Amino acid sequence: MPDDIAEVYRNTYPALVRFLYRKVWDAERAEDLAQEAFARALVHKPDNTRGWLFVVAANMARDEARRAARERRHLTLLKSEPDAVHSAPEEEIDANTQRTRVRAALDQLTPRDREALLLWDSGLSYDEIAAQTGLARGAIGTTLARARRRLAEAYDAAQEGGQHVARG
Amino acid sequence: MSHVDEGTLHAYLDGELPSGERAALESHVAQCEACRARVNEERALVERASTLLRAVRPLEHPVPPFEQIRRAPKRSPWRVRTSFAWAASIVLAVGLGYYIAGAGVYRRASQMAEPTNVAVQNRPADKAAAPSAPSAPSARDEARPSTRARQEVAERRRLTNEREESGDTQNRAPLAGIVATATPAPVIDSSAMAKVIVRGAAPAASMQRQDAADTWPRIDRQTAKTILGTDPVGLPDIATLQIRRSPDKKVVVVEQALDSRTVIQLFQQPNTNAAGYAFSEGARGGRLARFVGNLRVEIGGPVSVDSLNRLLELVRPLP
Repeated sequence: MPDDIAEVYRNTYPALVRFLYRKVWDAERAEDLAQEAFARALVHKPDNTRGWLFVVAANMARDEARRAARERRHLTLLKSEPDAVHSAPEEEIDANTQRTRVRAALDQLTPRDREALLLWDSGLSYDEIAAQTGLARGAIGTTLARARRRLAEAYDAAQEGGQHVARG
Repeated sequence: MSHVDEGTLHAYLDGELPSGERAALESHVAQCEACRARVNEERALVERASTLLRAVRPLEHPVPPFEQIRRAPKRSPWRVRTSFAWAASIVLAVGLGYYIAGAGVYRRASQMAEPTNVAVQNRPADKAAAPSAPSAPSARDEARPSTRARQEVAERRRLTNEREESGDTQNRAPLAGIVATATPAPVIDSSAMAKVIVRGAAPAASMQRQDAADTWPRIDRQTAKTILGTDPVGLPDIATLQIRRSPDKKVVVVEQALDSRTVIQLFQQPNTNAAGYAFSEGARGGRLARFVGNLRVEIGGPVSVDSLNRLLELVRPLP
Protein backbone atom coordinates (compact mmCIF):
# COMPACT_ATOMS: atom_id res chain seq x y z
CA MET A 1 0.00 0.00 0.00
CA PRO A 2 1.55 3.27 -1.03
CA ASP A 3 1.01 4.82 2.37
CA ASP A 4 0.18 8.41 1.60
CA ILE A 5 1.19 8.69 -2.01
CA ALA A 6 -1.74 10.93 -2.84
CA GLU A 7 -0.52 13.24 -0.13
CA VAL A 8 3.05 13.08 -1.39
CA TYR A 9 1.66 13.82 -4.80
CA ARG A 10 -0.06 17.00 -3.70
CA ASN A 11 2.96 18.20 -1.78
CA THR A 12 5.69 17.19 -4.13
CA TYR A 13 4.31 17.46 -7.63
CA PRO A 14 5.13 21.15 -8.20
CA ALA A 15 8.64 20.71 -6.82
CA LEU A 16 9.21 17.68 -8.98
CA VAL A 17 8.03 19.56 -12.07
CA ARG A 18 10.38 22.41 -11.21
CA PHE A 19 13.25 20.02 -10.70
CA LEU A 20 12.57 18.34 -14.02
CA TYR A 21 12.05 21.60 -15.84
CA ARG A 22 15.55 22.70 -14.93
CA LYS A 23 16.86 19.57 -16.47
CA VAL A 24 14.81 19.21 -19.62
CA TRP A 25 13.95 22.91 -20.10
CA ASP A 26 10.51 22.17 -21.42
CA ALA A 27 7.61 22.84 -19.07
CA GLU A 28 5.20 20.45 -20.70
CA ARG A 29 7.71 17.68 -20.88
CA ALA A 30 8.61 18.27 -17.26
CA GLU A 31 4.98 17.77 -16.28
CA ASP A 32 4.74 14.62 -18.36
CA LEU A 33 7.82 13.21 -16.74
CA ALA A 34 6.65 14.15 -13.27
CA GLN A 35 3.37 12.34 -13.84
CA GLU A 36 5.26 9.44 -15.22
CA ALA A 37 7.39 9.31 -12.09
CA PHE A 38 4.29 9.26 -9.90
CA ALA A 39 2.74 6.60 -12.05
CA ARG A 40 5.80 4.48 -11.49
CA ALA A 41 5.70 5.15 -7.79
CA LEU A 42 2.21 3.71 -7.74
CA VAL A 43 3.54 0.54 -9.25
CA HIS A 44 6.72 0.27 -7.22
CA LYS A 45 5.38 1.52 -3.91
CA PRO A 46 8.79 2.63 -2.63
CA ASP A 47 9.39 3.11 1.08
CA ASN A 48 10.54 6.67 0.80
CA THR A 49 8.29 7.91 -1.95
CA ARG A 50 9.59 11.44 -2.13
CA GLY A 51 13.25 10.53 -2.31
CA TRP A 52 12.48 7.75 -4.74
CA LEU A 53 10.58 10.13 -7.00
CA PHE A 54 13.53 12.46 -7.33
CA VAL A 55 15.88 9.61 -8.10
CA VAL A 56 13.56 8.34 -10.81
CA ALA A 57 13.00 11.86 -12.11
CA ALA A 58 16.73 12.49 -12.31
CA ASN A 59 17.17 9.30 -14.29
CA MET A 60 14.34 10.12 -16.64
CA ALA A 61 15.70 13.61 -17.16
CA ARG A 62 19.09 12.20 -18.02
CA ASP A 63 17.61 9.87 -20.61
CA GLU A 64 15.54 12.73 -21.88
CA ALA A 65 18.55 15.01 -22.17
CA ARG A 66 20.39 12.46 -24.24
CA ARG A 67 17.44 12.08 -26.52
CA ALA A 68 16.98 15.83 -26.78
CA ALA A 69 20.63 16.31 -27.63
CA ARG A 70 20.24 13.88 -30.48
CA GLU A 71 17.16 15.64 -31.75
CA ARG A 72 18.73 19.04 -31.44
CA ARG A 73 21.47 18.03 -33.78
CA HIS A 74 18.86 17.34 -36.39
CA LEU A 75 16.80 20.40 -35.63
CA THR A 76 19.61 22.88 -35.91
CA LEU A 77 20.06 21.71 -39.45
CA LEU A 78 16.44 22.43 -40.27
CA LYS A 79 15.64 25.50 -38.30
CA SER A 80 17.06 28.98 -38.55
CA GLU A 81 15.74 30.55 -35.35
CA PRO A 82 12.44 32.04 -36.41
CA ASP A 83 11.27 32.14 -32.81
CA ALA A 84 13.42 34.92 -31.43
CA VAL A 85 12.61 37.23 -34.30
CA HIS A 86 8.97 38.04 -33.83
CA SER A 87 8.30 40.87 -31.46
CA ALA A 88 7.73 40.09 -27.82
CA PRO A 89 6.88 42.43 -24.98
CA GLU A 90 9.93 43.93 -23.35
CA GLU A 91 9.49 42.29 -19.99
CA GLU A 92 9.09 38.99 -21.72
CA ILE A 93 12.40 39.50 -23.44
CA ASP A 94 13.93 40.36 -20.11
CA ALA A 95 12.50 37.27 -18.52
CA ASN A 96 13.74 35.19 -21.41
CA THR A 97 17.17 36.73 -21.27
CA GLN A 98 17.40 36.15 -17.58
CA ARG A 99 16.22 32.60 -17.93
CA THR A 100 18.81 31.95 -20.59
CA ARG A 101 21.54 33.44 -18.42
CA VAL A 102 20.60 31.50 -15.33
CA ARG A 103 20.39 28.38 -17.38
CA ALA A 104 23.84 29.04 -18.81
CA ALA A 105 25.15 29.72 -15.32
CA LEU A 106 23.68 26.45 -14.05
CA ASP A 107 25.41 24.67 -16.89
CA GLN A 108 28.72 25.88 -15.55
CA LEU A 109 28.32 24.10 -12.23
CA THR A 110 29.71 20.63 -11.81
CA PRO A 111 27.00 18.01 -12.13
CA ARG A 112 27.22 17.18 -8.45
CA ASP A 113 26.98 20.80 -7.30
CA ARG A 114 24.10 21.46 -9.68
CA GLU A 115 22.24 18.37 -8.55
CA ALA A 116 22.55 19.31 -4.89
CA LEU A 117 21.42 22.85 -5.55
CA LEU A 118 18.41 21.81 -7.64
CA LEU A 119 17.37 19.23 -5.09
CA TRP A 120 17.64 21.75 -2.28
CA ASP A 121 15.65 24.25 -4.25
CA SER A 122 13.02 21.57 -4.84
CA GLY A 123 12.55 21.28 -1.11
CA LEU A 124 14.62 18.23 -0.26
CA SER A 125 16.37 18.15 3.10
CA TYR A 126 20.10 17.65 3.57
CA ASP A 127 19.41 14.06 4.54
CA GLU A 128 17.44 13.45 1.39
CA ILE A 129 20.05 15.15 -0.77
CA ALA A 130 22.76 13.06 0.85
CA ALA A 131 20.81 9.87 0.20
CA GLN A 132 20.24 10.82 -3.39
CA THR A 133 23.66 12.12 -4.34
CA GLY A 134 25.75 9.77 -2.26
CA LEU A 135 27.46 12.72 -0.59
CA ALA A 136 28.05 12.63 3.14
CA ARG A 137 25.47 14.64 4.99
CA GLY A 138 28.22 16.79 6.45
CA ALA A 139 29.36 17.71 2.95
CA ILE A 140 26.04 19.04 1.75
CA GLY A 141 26.50 22.50 3.28
CA THR A 142 29.87 22.88 1.61
CA THR A 143 28.53 21.61 -1.68
CA LEU A 144 25.61 24.02 -1.61
CA ALA A 145 27.84 26.92 -0.62
CA ARG A 146 30.09 26.22 -3.58
CA ALA A 147 27.16 25.73 -5.93
CA ARG A 148 25.53 29.00 -4.91
CA ARG A 149 28.74 30.94 -5.22
CA ARG A 150 29.51 29.55 -8.65
CA LEU A 151 26.00 30.14 -9.85
CA ALA A 152 26.12 33.80 -8.83
CA GLU A 153 29.60 34.26 -10.25
CA ALA A 154 28.79 32.61 -13.55
CA TYR A 155 25.63 34.67 -13.87
CA ASP A 156 27.44 37.92 -13.12
CA ALA A 157 30.26 37.08 -15.49
CA ALA A 158 27.80 36.51 -18.32
CA GLN A 159 26.01 39.72 -17.39
CA GLU A 160 29.19 41.77 -17.56
CA GLY A 161 30.24 40.08 -20.75
CA GLY A 162 26.89 40.96 -22.27
CA GLN A 163 27.16 44.56 -21.24
CA HIS A 164 30.63 44.92 -22.65
CA VAL A 165 29.36 43.69 -25.93
CA ALA A 166 26.35 45.95 -25.77
CA ARG A 167 28.42 49.01 -25.07
CA GLY A 168 30.86 48.09 -27.79
CA MET B 1 35.01 27.23 18.70
CA SER B 2 37.19 28.39 15.83
CA HIS B 3 35.82 30.49 12.99
CA VAL B 4 32.90 29.02 11.20
CA ASP B 5 33.52 27.30 7.89
CA GLU B 6 31.45 28.00 4.85
CA GLY B 7 29.67 24.66 4.72
CA THR B 8 28.57 24.90 8.32
CA LEU B 9 27.33 28.41 7.71
CA HIS B 10 25.19 27.35 4.80
CA ALA B 11 23.83 24.42 6.75
CA TYR B 12 23.02 26.84 9.53
CA LEU B 13 21.30 29.27 7.18
CA ASP B 14 19.41 26.41 5.59
CA GLY B 15 18.16 25.38 9.02
CA GLU B 16 19.92 22.03 8.64
CA LEU B 17 22.51 22.26 11.38
CA PRO B 18 21.96 19.80 14.24
CA SER B 19 20.90 21.64 17.37
CA GLY B 20 24.16 21.11 19.27
CA GLU B 21 26.25 22.58 16.49
CA ARG B 22 23.80 25.34 15.99
CA ALA B 23 24.06 26.46 19.59
CA ALA B 24 27.86 26.42 19.37
CA LEU B 25 27.80 28.42 16.16
CA GLU B 26 25.42 31.00 17.54
CA SER B 27 27.44 31.55 20.66
CA HIS B 28 30.60 31.94 18.59
CA VAL B 29 28.99 34.35 16.18
CA ALA B 30 27.67 36.42 19.07
CA GLN B 31 31.27 37.12 20.07
CA CYS B 32 33.00 37.21 16.70
CA GLU B 33 32.42 40.20 14.51
CA ALA B 34 34.19 38.68 11.52
CA CYS B 35 31.90 35.68 11.62
CA ARG B 36 28.84 37.87 11.98
CA ALA B 37 29.82 39.62 8.82
CA ARG B 38 30.31 36.26 7.13
CA VAL B 39 26.87 35.14 8.20
CA ASN B 40 25.37 38.18 6.54
CA GLU B 41 27.44 37.70 3.40
CA GLU B 42 26.49 34.07 3.08
CA ARG B 43 22.88 34.83 3.80
CA ALA B 44 22.91 37.28 0.92
CA LEU B 45 24.46 34.62 -1.28
CA VAL B 46 21.82 32.07 -0.32
CA GLU B 47 19.12 34.56 -1.18
CA ARG B 48 20.83 35.54 -4.39
CA ALA B 49 21.03 31.95 -5.56
CA SER B 50 17.41 31.29 -4.80
CA THR B 51 16.40 34.49 -6.59
CA LEU B 52 18.32 33.41 -9.65
CA LEU B 53 16.71 30.01 -9.54
CA ARG B 54 13.30 31.63 -9.42
CA ALA B 55 13.99 32.95 -12.90
CA VAL B 56 14.07 29.40 -14.15
CA ARG B 57 10.81 28.16 -12.77
CA PRO B 58 8.26 26.76 -15.13
CA LEU B 59 4.85 28.37 -15.14
CA GLU B 60 3.03 26.57 -12.41
CA HIS B 61 -0.13 24.86 -13.44
CA PRO B 62 -2.64 23.46 -11.03
CA VAL B 63 -1.68 20.01 -9.90
CA PRO B 64 -3.62 17.57 -12.06
CA PRO B 65 -5.99 15.31 -10.15
CA PHE B 66 -4.26 12.38 -8.58
CA GLU B 67 -6.80 10.02 -10.09
CA GLN B 68 -5.41 10.85 -13.48
CA ILE B 69 -2.07 9.45 -12.43
CA ARG B 70 -3.70 6.51 -10.75
CA ARG B 71 -5.26 5.38 -13.97
CA ALA B 72 -2.12 5.60 -15.99
CA PRO B 73 0.45 3.46 -14.22
CA LYS B 74 0.22 0.58 -16.64
CA ARG B 75 1.76 2.80 -19.21
CA SER B 76 4.81 3.52 -17.20
CA PRO B 77 7.02 0.55 -17.84
CA TRP B 78 7.10 1.31 -21.52
CA ARG B 79 8.89 4.54 -21.21
CA VAL B 80 11.72 3.19 -19.21
CA ARG B 81 14.43 2.54 -21.67
CA THR B 82 15.20 3.49 -25.19
CA SER B 83 16.99 0.21 -25.62
CA PHE B 84 13.79 -1.53 -24.69
CA ALA B 85 11.94 0.54 -27.21
CA TRP B 86 14.30 -0.69 -29.86
CA ALA B 87 13.75 -4.26 -28.89
CA ALA B 88 10.02 -3.66 -28.81
CA SER B 89 10.00 -2.13 -32.25
CA ILE B 90 11.58 -5.28 -33.61
CA VAL B 91 8.94 -7.39 -31.93
CA LEU B 92 6.40 -4.98 -33.33
CA ALA B 93 7.67 -5.48 -36.83
CA VAL B 94 7.32 -9.23 -36.47
CA GLY B 95 3.97 -9.00 -34.74
CA LEU B 96 2.64 -6.64 -37.36
CA GLY B 97 3.05 -9.31 -39.98
CA TYR B 98 0.77 -11.61 -38.06
CA TYR B 99 -1.69 -8.87 -37.51
CA ILE B 100 -1.87 -7.95 -41.15
CA ALA B 101 -2.31 -11.58 -42.03
CA GLY B 102 -5.31 -11.68 -39.74
CA ALA B 103 -6.68 -8.35 -40.78
CA GLY B 104 -9.05 -9.62 -43.41
CA VAL B 105 -11.62 -10.56 -40.88
CA TYR B 106 -11.91 -6.98 -39.78
CA ARG B 107 -11.68 -5.50 -43.21
CA ARG B 108 -14.85 -7.24 -44.18
CA ALA B 109 -16.45 -5.31 -41.41
CA SER B 110 -15.58 -2.02 -42.91
CA GLN B 111 -18.64 -0.83 -44.78
CA MET B 112 -21.01 0.99 -42.52
CA ALA B 113 -22.11 4.45 -41.72
CA GLU B 114 -22.17 6.04 -38.29
CA PRO B 115 -20.82 5.79 -35.73
CA THR B 116 -17.43 6.60 -37.02
CA ASN B 117 -14.23 5.22 -35.77
CA VAL B 118 -10.90 6.80 -35.83
CA ALA B 119 -7.38 5.81 -35.17
CA VAL B 120 -3.94 6.03 -36.53
CA GLN B 121 -1.84 3.37 -38.01
CA ASN B 122 1.22 2.26 -36.22
CA ARG B 123 2.65 5.73 -35.85
CA PRO B 124 1.00 8.60 -34.03
CA ALA B 125 0.23 11.81 -35.79
CA ASP B 126 3.43 12.80 -37.41
CA LYS B 127 3.82 16.53 -37.30
CA ALA B 128 5.75 16.49 -40.52
CA ALA B 129 2.93 14.70 -42.24
CA ALA B 130 0.13 16.79 -40.85
CA PRO B 131 0.31 19.79 -43.18
CA SER B 132 -0.22 17.56 -46.16
CA ALA B 133 -3.35 16.03 -44.72
CA PRO B 134 -6.25 16.70 -47.01
CA SER B 135 -8.45 19.23 -45.35
CA ALA B 136 -7.02 18.42 -41.99
CA PRO B 137 -8.72 20.75 -39.58
CA SER B 138 -6.63 22.75 -37.21
CA ALA B 139 -7.07 22.45 -33.51
CA ARG B 140 -9.09 25.60 -33.50
CA ASP B 141 -11.32 24.41 -36.30
CA GLU B 142 -11.97 21.35 -34.34
CA ALA B 143 -13.12 23.30 -31.37
CA ARG B 144 -16.10 24.79 -33.07
CA PRO B 145 -18.91 23.07 -34.87
CA SER B 146 -19.12 23.46 -38.56
CA THR B 147 -21.96 23.17 -40.96
CA ARG B 148 -19.58 21.81 -43.50
CA ALA B 149 -19.17 18.85 -41.30
CA ARG B 150 -21.39 16.47 -43.13
CA GLN B 151 -20.01 17.36 -46.52
CA GLU B 152 -16.52 16.89 -45.29
CA VAL B 153 -17.35 13.60 -43.78
CA ALA B 154 -18.85 12.41 -46.99
CA GLU B 155 -15.92 13.62 -48.99
CA ARG B 156 -13.49 12.04 -46.65
CA ARG B 157 -15.32 8.80 -46.70
CA ARG B 158 -15.09 8.79 -50.43
CA LEU B 159 -11.36 9.42 -50.29
CA THR B 160 -10.98 6.79 -47.70
CA ASN B 161 -12.80 4.16 -49.56
CA GLU B 162 -10.58 4.82 -52.51
CA ARG B 163 -7.58 4.57 -50.32
CA GLU B 164 -8.79 1.41 -48.78
CA GLU B 165 -9.44 -0.14 -52.12
CA SER B 166 -5.95 0.76 -53.15
CA GLY B 167 -4.84 -1.56 -50.39
CA ASP B 168 -3.01 0.39 -47.80
CA THR B 169 -1.39 -2.51 -46.07
CA GLN B 170 0.22 -0.54 -43.34
CA ASN B 171 -2.94 -0.39 -41.43
CA ARG B 172 -3.76 -3.07 -39.00
CA ALA B 173 -6.79 -4.65 -37.47
CA PRO B 174 -8.98 -3.96 -35.72
CA LEU B 175 -8.14 -0.36 -36.39
CA ALA B 176 -7.13 -1.20 -39.89
CA GLY B 177 -7.81 1.15 -42.67
CA ILE B 178 -9.10 3.84 -40.51
CA VAL B 179 -9.35 7.48 -40.90
CA ALA B 180 -9.19 10.11 -38.84
CA THR B 181 -9.51 13.42 -39.63
CA ALA B 182 -11.34 14.85 -36.86
CA THR B 183 -14.76 15.33 -38.07
CA PRO B 184 -15.41 18.77 -37.01
CA ALA B 185 -16.21 19.61 -33.77
CA PRO B 186 -18.33 17.84 -31.53
CA VAL B 187 -19.83 20.07 -28.96
CA ILE B 188 -18.98 18.32 -25.79
CA ASP B 189 -21.64 18.29 -23.18
CA SER B 190 -19.89 16.72 -20.29
CA SER B 191 -17.65 19.21 -18.61
CA ALA B 192 -15.29 16.49 -17.57
CA MET B 193 -14.82 15.48 -21.14
CA ALA B 194 -14.61 19.05 -22.31
CA LYS B 195 -11.50 19.43 -20.23
CA VAL B 196 -10.01 16.53 -22.01
CA ILE B 197 -10.81 17.53 -25.54
CA VAL B 198 -8.69 20.55 -25.80
CA ARG B 199 -5.59 20.62 -27.81
CA GLY B 200 -6.26 19.06 -31.14
CA ALA B 201 -3.24 18.23 -33.14
CA ALA B 202 -3.89 18.12 -36.84
CA PRO B 203 -4.52 14.49 -37.57
CA ALA B 204 -2.05 12.66 -39.68
CA ALA B 205 -2.63 12.27 -43.34
CA SER B 206 -2.15 8.57 -43.01
CA MET B 207 -5.26 8.00 -41.00
CA GLN B 208 -8.29 6.57 -42.61
CA ARG B 209 -11.86 6.00 -41.77
CA GLN B 210 -13.31 2.70 -40.98
CA ASP B 211 -16.70 2.07 -39.64
CA ALA B 212 -17.00 -0.95 -37.51
CA ALA B 213 -19.79 -2.79 -39.15
CA ASP B 214 -22.92 -4.37 -37.87
CA THR B 215 -21.27 -7.64 -38.60
CA TRP B 216 -20.12 -7.06 -35.05
CA PRO B 217 -23.15 -8.23 -33.10
CA ARG B 218 -24.42 -6.47 -30.06
CA ILE B 219 -23.76 -8.21 -26.82
CA ASP B 220 -24.65 -7.55 -23.23
CA ARG B 221 -22.38 -6.72 -20.36
CA GLN B 222 -22.24 -10.26 -19.11
CA THR B 223 -21.16 -11.62 -22.48
CA ALA B 224 -18.54 -8.93 -22.73
CA LYS B 225 -17.28 -9.92 -19.34
CA THR B 226 -17.10 -13.54 -20.38
CA ILE B 227 -15.10 -12.72 -23.50
CA LEU B 228 -12.73 -10.40 -21.68
CA GLY B 229 -12.48 -12.35 -18.48
CA THR B 230 -13.06 -9.09 -16.67
CA ASP B 231 -15.34 -6.09 -16.72
CA PRO B 232 -15.22 -4.10 -19.95
CA VAL B 233 -13.66 -0.67 -19.70
CA GLY B 234 -14.93 2.69 -20.81
CA LEU B 235 -15.02 6.38 -20.08
CA PRO B 236 -16.47 7.16 -16.71
CA ASP B 237 -19.74 9.07 -16.50
CA ILE B 238 -20.47 8.79 -20.20
CA ALA B 239 -23.45 6.96 -21.56
CA THR B 240 -22.64 3.62 -23.12
CA LEU B 241 -24.54 3.21 -26.39
CA GLN B 242 -23.81 -0.40 -26.97
CA ILE B 243 -21.30 -3.15 -26.57
CA ARG B 244 -20.42 -5.35 -29.50
CA ARG B 245 -17.99 -8.09 -30.28
CA SER B 246 -15.88 -9.03 -33.24
CA PRO B 247 -16.99 -11.94 -35.41
CA ASP B 248 -14.21 -14.08 -33.97
CA LYS B 249 -15.40 -13.28 -30.43
CA LYS B 250 -12.00 -12.01 -29.39
CA VAL B 251 -12.46 -8.28 -29.42
CA VAL B 252 -15.12 -6.30 -27.60
CA VAL B 253 -15.95 -2.76 -28.56
CA VAL B 254 -17.65 -0.41 -26.15
CA GLU B 255 -19.27 2.54 -27.87
CA GLN B 256 -19.93 5.67 -25.90
CA ALA B 257 -21.42 8.97 -26.98
CA LEU B 258 -19.71 12.18 -26.00
CA ASP B 259 -22.58 13.92 -27.73
CA SER B 260 -25.12 13.05 -30.38
CA ARG B 261 -22.56 12.99 -33.15
CA THR B 262 -19.43 11.92 -31.41
CA VAL B 263 -19.08 8.28 -30.67
CA ILE B 264 -15.96 6.98 -29.05
CA GLN B 265 -15.11 3.35 -29.57
CA LEU B 266 -13.00 1.38 -27.17
CA PHE B 267 -11.70 -1.83 -28.63
CA GLN B 268 -10.58 -4.19 -25.95
CA GLN B 269 -9.27 -7.66 -25.66
CA PRO B 270 -7.51 -9.72 -23.05
CA ASN B 271 -3.83 -9.06 -23.20
CA THR B 272 -2.30 -12.33 -24.25
CA ASN B 273 0.31 -11.87 -26.91
CA ALA B 274 3.69 -10.24 -26.82
CA ALA B 275 2.94 -8.42 -30.03
CA GLY B 276 0.28 -6.51 -28.19
CA TYR B 277 2.84 -5.15 -25.81
CA ALA B 278 5.11 -4.22 -28.62
CA PHE B 279 2.38 -2.37 -30.39
CA SER B 280 1.62 -0.39 -27.32
CA GLU B 281 5.21 0.69 -27.16
CA GLY B 282 5.25 1.52 -30.84
CA ALA B 283 2.17 3.66 -30.53
CA ARG B 284 3.38 5.28 -27.38
CA GLY B 285 3.65 8.76 -28.74
CA GLY B 286 0.05 8.68 -29.93
CA ARG B 287 -0.96 6.45 -27.10
CA LEU B 288 -3.84 5.03 -28.96
CA ALA B 289 -3.41 1.70 -27.31
CA ARG B 290 -3.05 1.16 -23.64
CA PHE B 291 -3.30 -1.53 -21.05
CA VAL B 292 -5.99 -1.21 -18.48
CA GLY B 293 -5.68 -3.98 -15.98
CA ASN B 294 -5.49 -7.12 -18.03
CA LEU B 295 -7.03 -5.57 -21.10
CA ARG B 296 -5.38 -4.10 -24.09
CA VAL B 297 -7.51 -1.14 -25.12
CA GLU B 298 -7.49 0.83 -28.35
CA ILE B 299 -9.48 3.96 -28.82
CA GLY B 300 -11.17 5.45 -31.84
CA GLY B 301 -13.46 8.38 -32.41
CA PRO B 302 -13.97 11.46 -34.54
CA VAL B 303 -11.80 13.76 -32.47
CA SER B 304 -8.17 14.68 -32.68
CA VAL B 305 -5.46 12.22 -31.86
CA ASP B 306 -4.53 14.34 -28.94
CA SER B 307 -8.02 14.19 -27.55
CA LEU B 308 -8.12 10.46 -28.08
CA ASN B 309 -4.95 10.16 -26.10
CA ARG B 310 -6.42 12.06 -23.24
CA LEU B 311 -9.65 10.13 -23.33
CA LEU B 312 -7.71 6.92 -23.35
CA GLU B 313 -6.07 7.92 -20.12
CA LEU B 314 -9.47 8.27 -18.52
CA VAL B 315 -10.54 4.76 -19.38
CA ARG B 316 -11.36 2.52 -16.47
CA PRO B 317 -13.51 -0.49 -15.76
CA LEU B 318 -17.17 0.33 -16.26
CA PRO B 319 -19.10 0.39 -13.01
